Amino acid sequence: MGKKTTVSPMVKEALSNLFARPATSKYPFVKAEVPEGFRGKQVYDISLCISCGLCSRDCPAKAIEMVEVDAKRRPLFHLDLCIFCYQCAESCPRNAIKSSALFELASIDKSNLVVHPQASAQKGSGVQQ
Amino acid sequence: MGGSLQIQPAHLGKASIQVKAESNRDALKLLVEADKNAGIIALTGVDLGAQIGLLYHIRTNGAVITLKSEVPKESPRIPTITDIIPGALFHEREAADLFGVVFEGHPNPARIVLPEDWSENLYPLRKDAKIDNATVKCESSKSKPEPVPPQSDGSLVNIIIGPQHPALLEPEKFSVKVNGEIVKQVEPRIGYVHRGVEKAAEQRTYLQDVYLVERICGICNSCHATCFVEAVEKILGTQVPPRAKYIRTIILELNRLHSHLLLLGHAGLEIGYETLFQYMWRDREPIMDVTELLTGNRVISSAIAVGGVRRDIRESDVPKIKAVLADLKKKMALYRQLYTNERTLKMRTQNVGTLSKEDAVKLCVVGPVARGSGVNIDVRKEEPYEAYGEIPFKLITYNTGDSWARFMVRIDEIDESISIIDYALDHLPAGPFRVRAPRVVAAGEAVNRVEAPRGELFYYVKSNGTAYPERVKVRTPTYANLPAFLKTAEGGNIADVPANFVSLDPCFSCTDR
Repeated sequence: MGKKTTVSPMVKEALSNLFARPATSKYPFVKAEVPEGFRGKQVYDISLCISCGLCSRDCPAKAIEMVEVDAKRRPLFHLDLCIFCYQCAESCPRNAIKSSALFELASIDKSNLVVHPQASAQKGSGVQQ
Repeated sequence: MGGSLQIQPAHLGKASIQVKAESNRDALKLLVEADKNAGIIALTGVDLGAQIGLLYHIRTNGAVITLKSEVPKESPRIPTITDIIPGALFHEREAADLFGVVFEGHPNPARIVLPEDWSENLYPLRKDAKIDNATVKCESSKSKPEPVPPQSDGSLVNIIIGPQHPALLEPEKFSVKVNGEIVKQVEPRIGYVHRGVEKAAEQRTYLQDVYLVERICGICNSCHATCFVEAVEKILGTQVPPRAKYIRTIILELNRLHSHLLLLGHAGLEIGYETLFQYMWRDREPIMDVTELLTGNRVISSAIAVGGVRRDIRESDVPKIKAVLADLKKKMALYRQLYTNERTLKMRTQNVGTLSKEDAVKLCVVGPVARGSGVNIDVRKEEPYEAYGEIPFKLITYNTGDSWARFMVRIDEIDESISIIDYALDHLPAGPFRVRAPRVVAAGEAVNRVEAPRGELFYYVKSNGTAYPERVKVRTPTYANLPAFLKTAEGGNIADVPANFVSLDPCFSCTDR
């Protein structure tokens, strides 16, 4: 004690950070960018769908329900159950389920998180922002 | 031992040996005498119809040997092995909870995974167990309070930490008996976040189980997925293409990098050094971004599949990953300097929670906890999986066995991980990254081990010829390391409990499953 005081390297690091740019970004004012291939909200293309139901069968979270639309069985996505593993996209033999960079899915109403196959037929956005 | 011992083909590790229930202790003694570093990895219960199979997975000479015993389901009784291998303490309690096996002579046969008010004769992992909402509901009328340890000595004070406590991030309970400032005994109660993942895995297909098991733990998610998938591939006999092996190795090491950075930062928080915590977590973030770049998600990567990986590495991403790793390597110099020289850190971690090499072997601890006590076990070296056999790296050990040594093991391992990823990126083989694997798995069983950031992760998978597994057993590293905390906390200062505890890198989401 007292004979030799060494300055911790942490002091230097802390001082240098006084002048550095913050490590955090000002979300939501600055939008976070996601890389290519990010697993966001699925985009379902009803025109490619062949109603096979493989997506629903393989879904580990049982988040895909097959519903009747114009006398054909189509997948209805429960995004509140979805774990975004994209097994549905992988199982789909016709590539009717694709990825998107949409990740802002928070909602105060669960019904907003149900994506009806009809919504994609009208090229709607599905989830309300 | 006469006709009670029978060596079977080596599908459960290096060898599997069928022993009669009454001679399992003799067989075990032989194994322990043959290799003084032998320890138990896990005790798997399997419902075999009229019998309950008990599989003692023993780690000896760097490989797994499985001892199989069978006990009748009507009166499942077997003598305890805790006096031969003290590390089996929790494993036996779990098998008692989930299968109703009575271990005669067990020193503390209390519940460990299930709640105290769980129905008396309902053993959830037996195939005939009917679990619906009615039985799961707490039987409030018969509700039993958790046993309160008696205050045997007037001078001892019982301090209960948890299950909800500001210092703990996850729900677990520790009854700490203190005499003044000195800890005399620690009694744990875990199982507060038991989700029945092993049971749930039996009700999902192999395809779906990969996503289920990687959600056992967010931090080492790829390790869980890889460990499960490799076990399934062993049963199937699938040959994974070399490129997939390298990509898996890269993802596994990214897991280790961010896990170690998380822990080292968190250690700063627990000992009251919040600046360190903030900076380490800041420098961990680029690793999460790299994981997101590679796999499509920053935490749960969902990158591993039976037969390979789900997506390839884009050539254009390789320089980005290398830049992040080079940057981290530079930053690690500061943290290494802090952990080796900073007085505050050393005072709080050196000679705290010292675990001797003998105790580490006896308690069957794994991972950085074992390596901090000078036990050189690492699955990546013992039984190289994926590309680890082809990649040069050092096995890190420290000999002091205190909290500081356990942190230093991780600091060194971060550097090793960076060079492993660098090497793997440079030597990435060309070719396919996935082969088609059947959905239905032929009858068989396999054990598999993976070195997760916290230590050896163990899976046992049994298939019955359908698309659904018959039994999936998970033994997580924290489950094996918990006895070390109970041992090392004794005799220490109550104020040192957080620093000691965090040096194990405990994960109760893993432990409780």
